[in-house]
Amino acid sequence: MTGYLLEFGQALLALLLAPGLVGFVRWVKARLQNRRGAPIWLPYFELKKLFGKDVVVSNNASWLFRVAPYIVFVSALAVTFLIPLIAVPLPFDNVGDLMVVVYLLLLGTFFLALAGLDPGTAFGGMGSSREMTVAALAEPTIALAIFGLALGAGSTNLGRIVIATLANPGTAINPGHLLAFAALFIVSLAETGRLPVDNPSTHLELTMIHEAMILEYSGRYLALIEWASWLKLTIFFTLLSNLFIPWGMATKLTPAALGIALLTLILKFIVLGLAVAIVETRIAKLRLFRVPELLGMSFVLALLAVTSSFLLK
Amino acid sequence: MNDTLFSQLSTLGSSIILMFGIGLLWRKSLHAYAESFKWQSVALTIMFLIIGYFGDDHELYVVAVVLFILKVLVIPYYLNRMENRFGDQRELQPYVNVASSLILAGLLVLLAYAITRPLVLVSELSTRGGMPLAMGLIFVGLFVVITRKKAMMQIVGFLVMENGVALLAVLGTFGIPIIVELGVFLDVLMGFLVMQVFVYHIHTTFESIDVDQMNELKH
Repeated sequence: MTGYLLEFGQALLALLLAPGLVGFVRWVKARLQNRRGAPIWLPYFELKKLFGKDVVVSNNASWLFRVAPYIVFVSALAVTFLIPLIAVPLPFDNVGDLMVVVYLLLLGTFFLALAGLDPGTAFGGMGSSREMTVAALAEPTIALAIFGLALGAGSTNLGRIVIATLANPGTAINPGHLLAFAALFIVSLAETGRLPVDNPSTHLELTMIHEAMILEYSGRYLALIEWASWLKLTIFFTLLSNLFIPWGMATKLTPAALGIALLTLILKFIVLGLAVAIVETRIAKLRLFRVPELLGMSFVLALLAVTSSFLLK
Repeated sequence: MNDTLFSQLSTLGSSIILMFGIGLLWRKSLHAYAESFKWQSVALTIMFLIIGYFGDDHELYVVAVVLFILKVLVIPYYLNRMENRFGDQRELQPYVNVASSLILAGLLVLLAYAITRPLVLVSELSTRGGMPLAMGLIFVGLFVVITRKKAMMQIVGFLVMENGVALLAVLGTFGIPIIVELGVFLDVLMGFLVMQVFVYHIHTTFESIDVDQMNELKH
């Protein structure tokens, strides 16, 4: 019973942490660029503002346009039930493994792309086509990178992977693990619309991907989509931190263990957030036609991760 | 415990060295090629030190120092000097485009795994995990030489290939006799200098270092 309660608590935690995480990354980035930066909790107010606003929908938009934000949000929310956030093992580990996680994420992307096409604006279509290009190249890499871990642990179940790494700490400096980490990090940047692939902070017409798709949205629909995309960042951060560096996660459901798990989770998020902010400050956006090359690089990394954990068993 | 640590470190080091080699395929300017080669050589030096430490072979420390001087300081310095002389050289249109190169590099590494499989199976060394990767690096270096058009990129490809050979040698034997090692280094340096002179000649004759244009010699 406590397990199920914890599942809901975990999903709620992810929901609440997501805007703060984005706010933190934005703040660090601003500081690195010698700006004062908006407060970390600004995204919460952004959500509140958007939920309070009226929705304006184009006459040309169909029911798909209205349904898509809910599907996008719910698919991201469903993933938060399946990933190991603060404790393992959890009852929902048996509901879905890594394949379910990968394809739930893809489901959200797919509906967002459809919604971008639906009102028939030029930007929406452009954004959708770009997003699908990136998604098509990124999705196999995510699956392959986590497969690299799954081969080591002998299970595609995310909870089991974490437990296997906890039981056998030496595997964390395994080349398979590190290559998979690098691959997943690059893909996370691509999938969450971060800098070398997409610039999250501008509406620059020629280069935007994510922003182009959601250009037609307003009010609570926009709030849901934004929240979902922040959740996606949280999900990728969780995968990166907890699958590869699982220490600190609670294996027993005592309050003390959960408290430590929560603290280490926030600490890991801060470290990853700093890393992302530094990467984003250091590098410029890639030209769109170089994006497949970057993702090709991450695919090769993931492939090597799988071969080194599979062939050297 | 020590043995597993050694085997993991050697495989990890080999992976990193290989990644610098594959990274070449993604980069375009000579500066980036020289940087990748330099960092790859740094990783290779550390690899020599690790093997020297765990394999208890102190001659490897000497080899590592020579390697560091030659491949981290001297050759990158000359590469940068060539860059200054020819201006910003970029590999804009290789024979195989970047995305396909990367995928092919992945396949080449798989091929290396297939080829070295018998070797790895009979080997008792704790460094055997790195051997396929070193073989893969040799293939990737050769691939750079074949598919890049600019003469200087081909030189870097050759140097990367040589790094692969050095890595394979040290993984397979824990250090060949130091005199052989030094002879190899000398050969690499001589080869590099000869190639450098050739590039200067190509440049003065054709006003370009694009070896594709040497086809004009046939007409």
